[in-house]
Amino acid sequence: MGTYAARRLLWLPFLLLIVTFVTFALLRVGPGDPVQVWLGQHQNDEVRARLRAQLGLDDPLVVQYVRYVEGVVTRLDFGESLRYRGRPVSELLSKRMLVSLQLNAAVVIITLGVGIPVGLFAGLKQGTGLDVVAVTIALVFQSLPVFITAPVLLLMFALKLDLLPASGWEGFFSPNIVMPALVMGVPGIAIVVRFVRASVLDVMAQDYIRTARAKGLAESTVQWRHILRNAMLPLWTIFGFTIAGLAGGTFIVEIYFGIPGVGLFAIESFFQRDYPVLLAIAVITTALFVLANLIIDVTYSLLDPRIRVGGGNVT
Amino acid sequence: MLPDRSGPPPHEHGHRQHTDDQLQGTDWSGNELGPSDREALDEGPSTGQSYLSLSMRRLMRKKVAVVCLSVIVLMYGGALLSPLITPYEYTAQDLSQSRAKPTLAHPFGSDRLGRDMLTRVIYGLRTTVIITVLSLLGGTLIMGVVLGLLSGYMGRWVDGLIMRTGEVTSSIPDIMLILIFVASLRPRFVGAVQAFEDATGIDWLLRLGIVDYAIISLGLSIFGWFGMARLVRGQVLQARESVYTEAALVAGSSTVRILRVHMLPNILSPLIVSISAGLGSVAGAELILSWIGIGVQPPVPSLGRMMFENGSIQVLRNEPHLIMFPIGTVTLLFLCFSILGDAVNDAFNPRAR
Amino acid sequence: MKRKIFRILLMGAVLAALVGLVACGGSDEPPAAAPEPTAAPTATSAPAAAAPAATAPSEAPAPTATTEAMMSAGQPTAMGESCAPSADLTFDDRPPQGGTLVRLFADPPTLDPHLMGDVTSSVIGGEVFGGLVTLSLDYQPVLDLAETCSISEDGLVYTFVLRENAKFHDGKPVTAQDVKWSIERAADPDTLSHTAETYLGDIVGVTDKLEGTADEISGVKVVDDRTVEFTIDAPKSYFLAKLTYPTAYVVDQEQVTDDGTWLEEPNGTGPFKLATYEIGELIVLERNENYHLGPPHLESVQMILSGGSAMIMYENDEIHLTGVGLDDLPRLLDPNDALNPQLHRSPQDFDVFYIGLNVAEPPFDDVKVRQALNYAIDLQSIAENVLDGRVSPATGVIPPGFPSYTENLRSYQFNPDLARELMQESKYADALASGDFPRVTLTISGSFGAAIPTYLEVILEQWRLELGIEVEIQQTEWATFLQDVNDKKYQMFSLGWIADYPDPQNFLDVLLHSDSQSNHTNYGNPEVDRLLEEARTERDRARRFELYNQVEQMIIDDAPWVWTWFSGEGYALIKPEVSDYFLLQMSIPKYRYVYFNQ
Repeated sequence: MGTYAARRLLWLPFLLLIVTFVTFALLRVGPGDPVQVWLGQHQNDEVRARLRAQLGLDDPLVVQYVRYVEGVVTRLDFGESLRYRGRPVSELLSKRMLVSLQLNAAVVIITLGVGIPVGLFAGLKQGTGLDVVAVTIALVFQSLPVFITAPVLLLMFALKLDLLPASGWEGFFSPNIVMPALVMGVPGIAIVVRFVRASVLDVMAQDYIRTARAKGLAESTVQWRHILRNAMLPLWTIFGFTIAGLAGGTFIVEIYFGIPGVGLFAIESFFQRDYPVLLAIAVITTALFVLANLIIDVTYSLLDPRIRVGGGNVT
Repeated sequence: MLPDRSGPPPHEHGHRQHTDDQLQGTDWSGNELGPSDREALDEGPSTGQSYLSLSMRRLMRKKVAVVCLSVIVLMYGGALLSPLITPYEYTAQDLSQSRAKPTLAHPFGSDRLGRDMLTRVIYGLRTTVIITVLSLLGGTLIMGVVLGLLSGYMGRWVDGLIMRTGEVTSSIPDIMLILIFVASLRPRFVGAVQAFEDATGIDWLLRLGIVDYAIISLGLSIFGWFGMARLVRGQVLQARESVYTEAALVAGSSTVRILRVHMLPNILSPLIVSISAGLGSVAGAELILSWIGIGVQPPVPSLGRMMFENGSIQVLRNEPHLIMFPIGTVTLLFLCFSILGDAVNDAFNPRAR
Repeated sequence: MKRKIFRILLMGAVLAALVGLVACGGSDEPPAAAPEPTAAPTATSAPAAAAPAATAPSEAPAPTATTEAMMSAGQPTAMGESCAPSADLTFDDRPPQGGTLVRLFADPPTLDPHLMGDVTSSVIGGEVFGGLVTLSLDYQPVLDLAETCSISEDGLVYTFVLRENAKFHDGKPVTAQDVKWSIERAADPDTLSHTAETYLGDIVGVTDKLEGTADEISGVKVVDDRTVEFTIDAPKSYFLAKLTYPTAYVVDQEQVTDDGTWLEEPNGTGPFKLATYEIGELIVLERNENYHLGPPHLESVQMILSGGSAMIMYENDEIHLTGVGLDDLPRLLDPNDALNPQLHRSPQDFDVFYIGLNVAEPPFDDVKVRQALNYAIDLQSIAENVLDGRVSPATGVIPPGFPSYTENLRSYQFNPDLARELMQESKYADALASGDFPRVTLTISGSFGAAIPTYLEVILEQWRLELGIEVEIQQTEWATFLQDVNDKKYQMFSLGWIADYPDPQNFLDVLLHSDSQSNHTNYGNPEVDRLLEEARTERDRARRFELYNQVEQMIIDDAPWVWTWFSGEGYALIKPEVSDYFLLQMSIPKYRYVYFNQ
């Protein structure tokens, strides 16, 4: 186990190198020039050439790449944004990632907070009308696109009921977070419900539960302990990927609710060919993704010894 | 996911049944092999043929599943036959009908240019269908399954190579990759196709949006295979650990046979699930591409574009038909896929037998 | 001109804004529509960003107009004519009233005035900084930091005397040395300014400085502490207008050189101080009590940067003003609607939209084809039916109300018969009949979520029906579009232009001179070029405008464009308690006029 984790961690720097190089190369080979986007309609070839030279954009790609990597490795310096001139990328990005992180945390709370009870309920009431209703509602919500849920919520809570602010961002503990978190979290509920419900059914069906029941253990003890443990793994997966996605954002939700998150920022940075920002996003998301995967794998093997991590031996 | 009391009849195979045969849920997440699996040991290796047909029969017994399947088939069929069944041309404009409310002649109303919304929605569905099918076929199915099988079965450096490559492609934010990919490829690709059209006299490749479909699907597939590959690999690893594979090997089954009989059935339901999930990501990617200006080109209708153009409170308040019908269509399709995915999972999951 | 830079304006974006899809783009006016899924809250330097509701006084400066504003004060000096003849900014002596104005805004790409090349930054820049001259509410260059200004007889030397009470935020007086240093900093190659060449390039010596061959700008001379002299290379009457741009703003030498983080709390000379800037979240501007034209009434201005659904926020009392999109308009125009009294018309932007035709490529190398395309589209009907009258058909290059605008141009009217006739006479008549007509592809840029403008689809349909010409649309992403359009790679493209400074040179010379880098159509007419060059240095205003009118007619006849729109009047909602928020046609520092009436 230890060696497995160590191997994966050792691989991370190489992975990051590859990822940044691929991103870098794709960006630079494709059309578009940040200086030209800057100039907008002040197009002037001389100015453009002068600016490109001064920014080092005319150096050979490899030189630029090495310079970039050197900055990141030796000084943890992701460079300056080309679009927000003079602003360090780390400053621009960390603020937005912090926002996305908080929002995603709220999303997880909603998804699990609603999903687990509903799943338990549906599983225990399995086959009854209530089960059908709960599951169907969860599925319908999963299928509704954000283009309808966001405006409808806005209409309802902000305009008609006047309960919540329509948009803006004031941190985790403000009412502003409610609507975006709902819009992002509600579709995921169905997945959690599905897992939990299946676990309930699975556990209820098993010999040891019957044994436990026969032994006269209280029904609720039986249910909680076994069901939850059984449902842990899939839920942990969801959780893991949420962690991986923490740095990510959903640009459409960000636009609807005016959230200064990462999603829209990434797309705009592409729009402006803000290379340093795009590379930093690639580096950070890659690292998070790999770490989250590793954590999932390791905890899996701890939780369920039957799963051997790392591919292992072929027959 | 909808409970369905018509589950497998007791003692179908003469094996012990779970007391509750409603074992549902997507069980591809790696936590499988409950104690019940060991019971599967005494199950003789069935042939793939009969397994499939049995499973299909089980599926068909579920009414909700059949309804959903019919809806999906209907929608897909309608979409592919759109030129035959739509009442109008999707380009036919009538400015006097701009944003007209639904009427008998235009059951879904008209859009800003007075084009029939029903027609636009059906053609939009076609766009979604084509792109989904292409990218799922290319990316998820072919690349994902093949690479996953390879990875799981070969192990060692093959596994390492495939998984590491996958990690690279999937750990760069996929939207960004697709953006970069499509943005840098599209202009050149379109130029080439125009030259091809000029040289050959074919004139419908661009007009029908085929080029757009192809580029977007390609972009999605190249970066979309890893999820499926990992899934398949997981199944392979898990099955390899399991007793019945050992038993089968002991019994002298060939690798191919083991794959066919034991692996493929196991990944069928995740496959269906991933198709429905794929629908979502395809719609999402198409949307972002359109948003930035490199998606399916108008006047070819696209549901994603219709939704983002009209997904505003203003439209919802003032001209709800512009948004309700495209959204309704999409929601129905998603919902049917979700329900079908669950039902398939039930029917095909060997443990539920 | 002032702060609205030359911006290529993507039709798509702008019209989408009009159509109620985009918003919150770069202009400082209230977003034209709720930034629903399409809007880019932080859309900025990309010209793509919509410039929403514009505004301004067609009749009087917008809502509750103040009577203040302009009183004439150009004092000719002995040296020659005064350079700011029309008006001076008045000292506002009403007592400050307090209050905080809240509105949506977008992240400024930079707060360094010398790097500003977009509307968003310029709006903040104009409130925090200032220069020798600025624009009045009727778009005339007027004196800001300067008390007097005069031009030499030959039109080459501009002399400015600074106001005695002109001070930086920290109370330090602004000196002629500060002005010179600021201009030199803007033109220093290390500053990496992309606007210096355009806006300061007329000053003698700026080019040398930009190229690094000179330490000083020879054309800027400090006469004494309060007097500074600019020498330009030719008697260009639009020079003063260019000086109103942020590139010429004055910064505090001491702060800039000593403090690497000076932009966090810039020591400017404008009516407001930058109190807070949280990237992506909030900008707070606070009243500058020492402002040389009288402190603003508002205590502060809060600009929410994170975007959101403007209309809902407005109705929810979260912001004081917003633009109005097409979809909301019918409801708000109903006199019974509660919000109807808060609806204000905002005057049109100074802009023009067109479809450029590459005259070097077939079939557009035949003027008859180009004219036929213009005659074959019924813009009036599209404007009314599709765009709800939010635009008006463009009749020329210069938008209504702009200097040199004239109604006496012969422009294209919908005339399908004439269009067909012209096609018949063109050298492509046979090709069209036999199906060998060259392939025509219209390229447009995608922009922050702007839909492909629906009107283009109508135009294409009309060309198909009236002329039998099939045109394909290719949409491409902004950076790619920009690169290719600059390389003149496109056969046909859709673009727009918003005025940077109120002078016809900014449209006609910049867009259609054969040497101009913003002329993407390969269009070149020697006679047009000659007249444009003559007009550059013509000092008689009437004669100059005559030249421009003549040029404009020649261009219309040559039809390098298919003319589409001038943006029409828009609408904005402003809370009743807000007074003197002027809806203008160009973005001009104006928050100092605003006050709460209760």
